[in-house]
Amino acid sequence: MDPRQPSEANARAAAMPPELMQDPLLELEAVTAAYGRIQVLNGVDLAVPAGTVLALLGPNGGGKSTTLKVASCQMEPTSGRVKIAGRTVNGATSEQLAELGVCTIPEGRGIFANLTVRENLELATYTGKSLSAIEDRTYSFFPRLAERRHQLAGTMSGGEQQMLSMSRALSSDPVLLMLDELSMGLAPLVVEELYAVVSQVAGEGVSILVVEQFARTVLGVADWAAIMLGGRITRVGPPGELEQELTAAYLGDR
Amino acid sequence: MNENPQRVEEFREAISEMKISHPPPAVERAYLWLGVIGVAVGFVLIVMGYNGAATTEFTPEAVSYLISGGVVGLALIVVGVGLFLRYSMARFQRFWLLRDIFEQRAQTDRIIQVLERIEKLDIEIE
Repeated sequence: MDPRQPSEANARAAAMPPELMQDPLLELEAVTAAYGRIQVLNGVDLAVPAGTVLALLGPNGGGKSTTLKVASCQMEPTSGRVKIAGRTVNGATSEQLAELGVCTIPEGRGIFANLTVRENLELATYTGKSLSAIEDRTYSFFPRLAERRHQLAGTMSGGEQQMLSMSRALSSDPVLLMLDELSMGLAPLVVEELYAVVSQVAGEGVSILVVEQFARTVLGVADWAAIMLGGRITRVGPPGELEQELTAAYLGDR
Repeated sequence: MNENPQRVEEFREAISEMKISHPPPAVERAYLWLGVIGVAVGFVLIVMGYNGAATTEFTPEAVSYLISGGVVGLALIVVGVGLFLRYSMARFQRFWLLRDIFEQRAQTDRIIQVLERIEKLDIEIE
């Protein structure tokens, strides 16, 4: 056994604020993951306490999206543990977790472009909810989608498509929500609108892990922020404290 | 903090009761190959049985050749095909579905691009 291991583990534990370790709904312990021979995550430790929003930030290629994939069991870690509500869930499928209330909104569009808005929402009725209940919830969050209910989803703007993607996820009544690059390719005003909904959902007590490359908007919504570089969490703390370090991380000054 | 603590409690309970099966991909692959090998061995047995039965003049010997070569070979082929289908088709169909979704999206994108170009041309003409 590598004699350095215990001290490295201690160092990781020390970097995590104790508040985060109280009753975490999602926890990653020394997670490593690889695509073939290329190791992407090099021992990720992260915790999302129940009812909080944690923003995972950092430049491209740092392993943020892979962390999200591992956390939602879409990808098997090569080592380490993924814990949800205190239970190690390595080996569970993402479908199982989705059924219980772990919801992931993937990067890009998670919608059927050739179906109408209403038909897309109809697909979300597999969770057992009625279409009218799903529509009510969706249109209360995004009134704009009500106007477009009979329009083909693929012909809407990127922001509206992302709204639809979010509303399909929210209709599953999630307890733990994971968002991947919500702002990707969208205008700042639309991003603000989407994050206002994220904030509203967080207010309902849903625990949220947000992966973002552009931090400005998400920092206003998050309770905690973590910076990820080179497959490791290099810093975790309140968003206000991390803003400076974040600039340095993007500029490579680390 | 939580406006719906009951939902969170239900979630915790459901997670603790969730059955986690560990189907290691290596085992799935092994069954798939077992199926392929079963089919191949089955064919070889049938050929051997046929050859044995065809080259003997004694009917009882021919029957034993046909039983051990033909019937066992056929059984191996059936079981092997079953294993192969079970462990390959699900995967294949998942890929097929993903490909379908991807192509439909690409198609819609292309249609939108063309419509936008037509719109621009219309505006220019007007």
